[in-house]
Formats: sequence, structure tokens, C-alpha cells
Amino acid sequence: MTHWMKYRKLLMPGLCKQYFAVLVVMLLLGSCRKSLTVDQENNTVEEGYYNSAPRIQQAVIGGYTDLRRALFANYAWMMYGEARAGDLKVAVNYQQQVANQQLTAANENLVQLSDWGYFYDVIKDANDVLDIVDNAEEDILSTYQKNTYRGEALALKSMAYFYVARIWGEVPSAEENNFGAHLTAQQAVTQAMGYATEAQKLLPWRLLNDDGIESAALTAVRFSKTAVTSLIAQQALWLGNGQSAYDILTNTFTGSAADSLSGFGLAIGEDRRTEIPEAPLSKNVLSMPIATFNTIYPVGDTRRSSMFNVSGNSATLIVSDVSKVDLLRVNEIDLLLAEAAWRSDRLEEAKERLINASGGATEDYSTLTEETFGNALLQERQRQLVATGQRMFDLIRFDEVSTYIPVFTEADVANGAAYWPLSATSIKGNGWSQNNYWK
Amino acid sequence: MRLIPKPGGKILFFLLVSFGAAMSVPAQDSLRVDSLVLANRSGLENIIQGSVAGLRVKSWSGTTGAQSTLNLRGLSLDPTDQSTMPLILINGIPMVAGPSNITGINPLTYFTPEQIDRIEVIKDIDRLAAYGVQAPNGALNIIMKEGQSGSIHVRGSAYAGVNFLQNMDYKRDAFYNFNTTARRDVYEDGGMMNDETLLVDGAGSYGSYLFGLSNHQDKGIIKGSGFGRQNLFLNAKYNITDRFTAHFYNNMTMANRNGRYSGEYSRDLILPVVGSEEFFMDRNRNLGLVSSMGLNYLLGYGITIRTVAGLSYEGASRDMYIPSNLLDGEIYASSAAYKRQLITWNTSANWLHDFSDALQMDMTLGGELRNTDDRLTSVNGQRSLENGGSNFVKVVTGYNAGQTIALSNHNIEKLLSFYGTWKFKYKKDLDVNLVARADGSSLYDKKWAFYPALGIHYDLKNSLDIPVKINAGIGKTGVLNRPEVYRGQLDAYGDYYGGNYLGIGQLYPGFSGAKSIGVIQVDAGVTVALGSLLNLSVDYFNKTYSDFMYQRYQPNISGIEYTFETGGKLGLSGIEITLDGNWIHSTNFSWGTNLNIAFYKNKVKSLPGDIDNTSLAHLAAVSGAPVTSLVAWQGSTAKKIGNSEPKAFGGFTNTLRYRNISAAFVVTYAWGADVAAASFNSRYDAQSINYDFPVKNAETPYYFIDKDADGRTVYQGIRTIEDGSFMRLSRAVVSYRFNAISKKVEALSDLEIFVRGDNLLTLSRYSGINPEENITGSRRYDLMYTGTPLPASVALGIKVVF
Repeated sequence: MTHWMKYRKLLMPGLCKQYFAVLVVMLLLGSCRKSLTVDQENNTVEEGYYNSAPRIQQAVIGGYTDLRRALFANYAWMMYGEARAGDLKVAVNYQQQVANQQLTAANENLVQLSDWGYFYDVIKDANDVLDIVDNAEEDILSTYQKNTYRGEALALKSMAYFYVARIWGEVPSAEENNFGAHLTAQQAVTQAMGYATEAQKLLPWRLLNDDGIESAALTAVRFSKTAVTSLIAQQALWLGNGQSAYDILTNTFTGSAADSLSGFGLAIGEDRRTEIPEAPLSKNVLSMPIATFNTIYPVGDTRRSSMFNVSGNSATLIVSDVSKVDLLRVNEIDLLLAEAAWRSDRLEEAKERLINASGGATEDYSTLTEETFGNALLQERQRQLVATGQRMFDLIRFDEVSTYIPVFTEADVANGAAYWPLSATSIKGNGWSQNNYWK
Repeated sequence: MRLIPKPGGKILFFLLVSFGAAMSVPAQDSLRVDSLVLANRSGLENIIQGSVAGLRVKSWSGTTGAQSTLNLRGLSLDPTDQSTMPLILINGIPMVAGPSNITGINPLTYFTPEQIDRIEVIKDIDRLAAYGVQAPNGALNIIMKEGQSGSIHVRGSAYAGVNFLQNMDYKRDAFYNFNTTARRDVYEDGGMMNDETLLVDGAGSYGSYLFGLSNHQDKGIIKGSGFGRQNLFLNAKYNITDRFTAHFYNNMTMANRNGRYSGEYSRDLILPVVGSEEFFMDRNRNLGLVSSMGLNYLLGYGITIRTVAGLSYEGASRDMYIPSNLLDGEIYASSAAYKRQLITWNTSANWLHDFSDALQMDMTLGGELRNTDDRLTSVNGQRSLENGGSNFVKVVTGYNAGQTIALSNHNIEKLLSFYGTWKFKYKKDLDVNLVARADGSSLYDKKWAFYPALGIHYDLKNSLDIPVKINAGIGKTGVLNRPEVYRGQLDAYGDYYGGNYLGIGQLYPGFSGAKSIGVIQVDAGVTVALGSLLNLSVDYFNKTYSDFMYQRYQPNISGIEYTFETGGKLGLSGIEITLDGNWIHSTNFSWGTNLNIAFYKNKVKSLPGDIDNTSLAHLAAVSGAPVTSLVAWQGSTAKKIGNSEPKAFGGFTNTLRYRNISAAFVVTYAWGADVAAASFNSRYDAQSINYDFPVKNAETPYYFIDKDADGRTVYQGIRTIEDGSFMRLSRAVVSYRFNAISKKVEALSDLEIFVRGDNLLTLSRYSGINPEENITGSRRYDLMYTGTPLPASVALGIKVVF
């Protein structure tokens, strides 16, 4: 027996004891981590929550509810649109300040309206949904669900960027690859159009409800192929690209698709933030002064009675379905087609489409020329799309702000007056500065 | 083959196969309950008020069954936060001691003082560190009475008395400026209280037993309200063999409290005065259970192994109904239940070893498992939870949000700990205490934290023949932070498509850096004994709290409002002075006093960068100043206008006996605290005054910025900033012992009658009724965080022992 062997014999029992002890301690401590992890029953924790299709759908719906906050808080969709342009009155005290273009007055509602936070919440929700769908375990989502949820997220994101670019002009990007980067309005809309184009390939004409049946009611309050196509067309037209708008519209809305068309609106519902109006279309909220009404809808226009109730000094909008607020109406498709055709040098087709779209008008649109078509279209959009919140954006797009809002000179508009000022919280912490006009 | 040698192997083996035993941590102060001046009000905190230097018991509310604020060297960022409460132990086992938000009933009312032997106060770091994150702010260990030798003893005690408001002047009440007729209608002198306790005990070679029952009823001074408690308890020790003993403790309590609408909840009484509240219902019912079972085995070689399992449970339920005559046509009904459960299991091995005649060691190694399980359910309304609730849960668990307001929330926390304490004793002169503890918590991603401490105690009497003891200590503990932050949280946004779908999103992302608040404590003390006449001790401590968790607001293009971070540092230091005098001690006459005073200071030592973008933005104005500062605005500047904490506080107790007559009284006092009283006349919607606060002549130039129910900014003027200093005769008792009768009647071993008064006299310049009534130091417009008037009471009682 060598010395080494002797020592080993002597050492082994001691080593055994120590190793055993160390081993047991390690095993015990190793298992501690597991024993110290608690599965929370209340489900409010994020980790591990998205383990079923209904839960992932909740995240998608989160995007819609945030868009609803963005557009309903302080009746924003009207304030950014027809209320600011002076077409409609909203029964709140700060509306007059908006109509008077006093957007920086000391009023908490106006401060909130100058805040773009809710739109960026939509963008974050959409990006989260894309991550959640991509990382969802296999077999949780069907191909339909995967495509629809991705498509809805992309469309929501596209719409949010499109809104902020139209409301504020130059805006920051909130994408991971260029977070905080300054985007001109053109860049932001281009980025938005990219998302919408991707969404268009994914979204179905009609959405399925939880029972797997096509639902017209559900399709009306979520993005479908129709709605996202209208959105792309609006974006292309905003970018001055009539040909692309024409192509996407004519390639998508072929005769066979007519039965499946659906507009897009935001469903009314209870919001956890109590300051969000839950019935923005309730009686007497939106009205039009009689003088404005007579100017926009001249006597003889059949839409005077089909779209409004006139009593005394004001005309109130007839809302056929108070359960949703329309943003993209089906009847806009013809108007978009007319505009796309006109912008891509197809005047005759444009006139034909405008006439098709404008039943009830007193004007004879067949005599329109290249020069007069624009105003006629702008006016029809004003009439038909009332209460969808697009009027102010149309004025900007048609470069007619100073014509219809005389307090602004053309120089003011060039300086940024058509856009909204930014609230202090929107500027804070991101190196942003106030719009030149509102400084 | 022996894998592990005895005796070390057995210790290790025991440690490894089981964790979780009541630690025997020596207390700094031990208060014998039989020698304290008891209180007529229920709640154990009331009997130790003014008795220990540094233990502040703030009687903020006169509502019966409410807990007075307890603080023992505790500090937090939020003055309303219960996290500064000391750890409450029953025979060394932690209990759920903070009142639930559902019923507000004080769990320290679950016991009668008659069943308690002593209350140990633990505040130095070399003792506290052994409790780790459970006791960052001191601990009170309540040791229950055990059976005394003899086959059977029967002890009974009872008292009955009345509550009254002295010199009730409605102008001085916190409800000042409200309707005075209604005021008189709310309060009523003469609300009765009564209390009865029966104990049966005995002890012998088999062990000991004690069981009993107690009843306490208190109508208080708010008409139509009141508090009641009944409990049943058992404390038994059984010697299974010479070496093996078992210990059982059980206390079961039923407590109830009825509330009243006007005066308790609705502070701004509606005009015209609501006549009848007979249909108003606010029934609060608690079931409290504190139970433990311990085994103790004397292994030999100086080794003892202990294992103790404890259960503390509280089921609290509240049923409320407010009729339409009180709510302007609306009715309101709610029902809520909150069940809190704390299970602990503590196993330890203790080894007493003499290295030599001079050097001895007392070592304990142990493990502890602590499992907290809280479940809240409520229907129609009440939504509150200690750890923050949300009505989101109802929907994700399948309710349709449009149908009812219902909530179910469930929080589970686990804490796994290993600890070691080493006490080295060198001759009679030097004690060195070492503590090491590791706490693993389910609340964080990085589970483990390590808490060491060292304490040195030196008695100069032996070596230098001076009756002076000195001590010093340093160590670290922690405060558990809010749950589950590391996992991120989802938020419910709203219903969509006819209320059929719920939209949710991220409230905040997961915070992997979540951890406990670190507390580093340094202690130093000196005790001088002048014979048996006088004992003076002066203790200094300094605590630094760091790494608070707070929210950092994100730019509004990030799509989330905030993320979590840790940072910031607070300091709390103080000097505690105790003077015990045993002036006269003779057969017929004795006189003793205890005077204690504590001078505390706290300070915001550092704040996170870019503080305005965090949830701590309100502290920006107090950097370098106390965190308890009252901060208000003057013009466009936020400034410190006072401090809600006193500069000094304490108590003064005198105990006198002449033959059979004894008398004792406790005076409590505090000075240097400020109270900012909100004005009823200068409260403005900020927008309507163009964000320019108009200063009123008779008021201060300061204002608070609040938000009203609609989220609009409100400027709240401050009427006065007052001095909240006071001196109060908290408790006084006179008793007579019938020695002659108990000598004549063989079966009777003791008979005593007493008269006792609570809160008999308050001297203060404060304009309200109770200078301690404001939890936050500001008397708000809506009286939130302000208590109801504190009544005085006088009771007549008897104690008898067979």
C-alpha cells in the first residue's frame, strides 16, 4: 500500500461527509428557487398570462380600447376634425375655444387634447400583440387567428401613426429600431402605410366570432380587409400618390367583393378610466348650427332630411347605430376611388364615381373640370363623412385650411397652424419642441 | 458506516430535512403585564403606551376597536403605510397584527391583558437581525401566561364603566364648521363598556395548563356604533419525557364592530340633517385564530432541538347598506370578505457549549418557512386590498364587467429563511452576539438576501467596579417590497363590442431588479445602575433605509406610464433615555417611577435623479429635510411648512402603594409636531382661478394641490399650522386589596377592587379635540386620515383569585 492509498483511505470518510453535506445543501438551495415561485391565481401578472387564444384576443382588443381613448377622450375625434373646422358643435364648454382656434388656452381638456399619449399607447399595444402572437406557443392560435390578430395589430398601429401625423405633423417614432426618431408627417405616413399594406394581406373580409361564424357586427368594429384598404388609400392620397391609391382600391374592390364590404367604427363600451365618454353619440351631443347646415347642405339636397333632424336653430345628426362611432364608412370607398382616379389623371372615371357616390346632391357633377373637381369632392366628403372626424384632415390635404378657417393666414398654415400644439407632457423627456406656430 | 458524525450530523440532518422554532431572542425591555397600568379600551398597544422609550403608540381615533398607530424605530416613505409597524409575535411566533381594510378591527384586541405574562420589546439590531425581513422596525414578543404550580387556580376579573367626551365643544372637533346640531346627534356620553375574564390554570410534573375565556364590549361615544370581542384560549405544556416536551397554544376570537354613517364615514354631514339612520347598516365581523404547536427535544451534549408550527388566521367580513335617504335617492350595498392567513414553521437546533470556565457559547442554527395567503372577495363596491387591488380580476376570471362590480383577488407570498445566532460570553464581562440570516422571498426575481449583524455588550462592574454597561451593534435587515413587481402587471382598459370583450394591456413591464428595502442599523448604549435606587439608560441608534421601490414616469410615446426602479435613501436616528427610579420600598409604602423620552430625527438623505419624473416627486421639496415634513405650495413654489412627527415623545409612570391601597398613573407626551389644518373657505377649482391661489387674510399663504373626484386640479388652502404638542394623563388606577378577607376565607387567595380612568386629561394648544387625531399631520378638508374624537372613560372593576 502506497502512502497515497493510505491517505486516501483516511481521507475518504471525511471527504464523503463533506461532499454529502455540500451536495444536500446545494440540492436544497437549488430547489428553493422553485419553491419560492408562486403561481398567482389573480392573473394580473404578465408573466405567463397569454396562454390561450381568448387571452391573446384581449390584448388585441386592448389596442381598440386605447384607440377609443385616444379618439373619445374630450370628444377628441370631433375636436381634431369637424369641431375644429367649425362644421359641428359638441356640447362641451371647451368646444368654442377649439372652434376659435384657441388651442393653447388654460383648460385641462385642451391640455389633454394636445397630448399624444393615447395614440402611442395604441402603438405599444400593437407592438406587444405582434410579440405575443410571434411568441405564442404552437397550437394556441389557429392560422386564421394568427393572421387576423397580426393584421389587426398592424392596422391599429398604422392608423395611430396616421392620426398623429395628421394632428401634429412631425412626430416621433415609437418602434424599437428607431425609438424617439423624428419623423416628418410624410415619413410617418409612409411608415404607417407600410404597416397597413402588410395588414391588408392578413386580414379577412369578414371576422369570425367566437363560434367561428362570420359576424357582420364584429367586423364593423374591428379591422377587416375593407377597412384597412380604405386606410391605405387615405394614406396614399395624403402622400400625394394617386396612382397607388387607385391601384390598391381597384385591385381590392373588385365586383365580387361587394357583398363583403364593411366599414370600421369604434364600439361603445365601458372604459376603466371614468373620464372617457361612454356615449359620445348620445342625443344632443353633436349638432350643427342652422346657418352652417344650410350652407353645407343647400335646400333641395335630400341628405338634409336623411342625415339630420332639424329643430329650431340647429340640426342634430341622425345616428342609426349608437353602439359604434364610424371612422371609415363604406360609402367613403367611392369617394376615395373618385379622388384616386382624379389624382391619377382619370377625370371622367372620377366624375362618374363621384356622381355614383353623391345621390341626393343638387349639383350637376358631370360638368366638373380638372380645376373644379377638387372643390366638389372636398364638399361631398364634408357632407357624407360628417362626424367621422376627417374634415380638418381633408382641409389640410386639399390645402384649403386658410380658406375655411379664416383666422389663419397662409403664412400661419405654412408655419404649422393647422396642426395641434403639443402639451407639456408630450414634449417632456424626448427632446421635442413646440410647433413653431404655437410657440 | 456513519456518514456524518454525531452530534453535528444530527444538527445538519435536522436542518436539512425540515425548516422553519420560535427563536429565543433576548429582549431589550420586558414589560410584566401585571405591573402595568391597564387600559379600559381594548387593544394591547394601549397598555404599553408610554412604557418604553421609543415605542410610540398614537391614539388617533376614538372609534372603538380601532388600532392605535404603533411605531418602534420605524420609518417609511408613506406616513399612512402600515409597513412601519413592528413585528408582533405571540410566544415568539409571528401573527397577522395589522387591521384589515375591510373591517378595520384591531387584531391586538383579540387578547385580554389578563392572559398575558409579559411583552418583550426588541429593537437592537443584534437581536432583530435574527428575524430578517420580518422585523425591520422592531418587534414586540407577547408571552402568554402559563399555568402556575398547583392543581387548579381560578382567576376572575371584571370591570364596567362609561365613555364620555369632556368639554365637548363642537368648535374644537375636527368636524368643526359642519352642522353643529348633527354633531350633538352623533356623539353621546355614557356609552357603556364592560369586560369579564375567567382563567383556570395549574401546573405539575406533567407540565402546565391554562385556559380561559374573556368578553369585552365597548359602545364608545358614537351613537349606534360599538365594538365587542369574545375569546377562548389555551396554553398548555406537556412533558412527554424528561427530555421531550410539547407546547400548545390556541386563541380563538370573535370580534364585531358596528359602524355609523354620520360621524364615522360621512364627515360632511348633509344638510338638512339626516334624521334617522336606522336602516343604515355597517356590520363588521372578524374571526381571529392564533395557534401554535411546538416540540422541544433535549438531545444531550448541550443540544436542544425545537420545532414550532404556527398559524395566524383572520377572516374579516363586512356587510354594508346605505339607504336612499342618506344618498340622495341612490342606494348602496356591498359585502366583502378578506381572509388573511400566515403559516410559519420554524425549526432550530441550539447548542450550549463551554469552551472553558470563562468562555461559553450559545449557538442556534435554524430555518423558517413563512407562507402568507390573503384572499379578498367583494361584491358591489368595496375594492381595497392591503397589497393593492384592481377590479380587473373579475373580468379575466370570467365575469361580465357590465353585470356587477365583483372582485376576487388572491395574494400568496412565501419566505424561506435560514439563520444562525451565536452568543459568546466571556466571564461576566463581555457578550458578543453574531447573527447571520438569509431570506429568500417569492416576491423577487433574485430571491435571496443576506442579513448579518454583530453586537458587543460589556459590563464594567466586574473589572472596573463601575455599575455601568455599554453596548454597541451594527447590522442589516430589510423591508419586503410590494409583491410580484418583477413579473410585470397587466391592466384592464375597458369593455368592447357590447361589453363582450375585455381589452387589456401592460400596466408596467416586469422589473427584474425588484428587491427588499435595505436597512442598516447602528446601535450604541450605556446603562448606569445606582444601587437598587436608580437605573438610567441612554441608547442611540441610527438607521439608514435604502433602495426604495418607486415608479419612474415614462415619456408618453412609450405607451406605458411608468416602470419601476429602486433608489433613494432615508435616515432615522434617535436617542432614547429611560430613568427607572425605585425611590421607596418598605412594607407599608412604596414608590417607583419610570420616565422615558425619545428624541427622533428623520431625513431624506438622497433621492433618485430627475426626481420630478418619479412617483417620489413630492419629496423634491424635502431633500435633506424630514420625510415626514408637511409640504405645501406658496405661489409657485413647494415648501416645507412643518413636520408631522414630534421632536420628542415619551411617558412618565408613577406607581405608589400604601398598605392595601395602590395607585398608578401614566402620562404620555410629545412635542414639536405640527398640524396643518385645511380650510373650509378657501378651496378652489384651479382652472377657475387661473392657477393663481388667492390668499385669504385670516389664513396661511399656503395651499395643497389635490385632485377632485373628476380628476380636476383643486387648490386647497391651509387655515392654520398648529402646534400638536400635548401632555396627556393616559391612564390612572387606584386599587384596594382585601388582604383580611382573603386570609379569612381559605379558598380565596386574592381579592382586589379598582377604579381606572383612560384619557382623563389632555393639555394642548391644538385647536381640535385630540392632538394625535391626524395620521399624516394634516387635517384634510374631507377628514380623510383623521380620527373620531377620543373619549375619556372611567371603569370600576374587581379581581379575584381562588
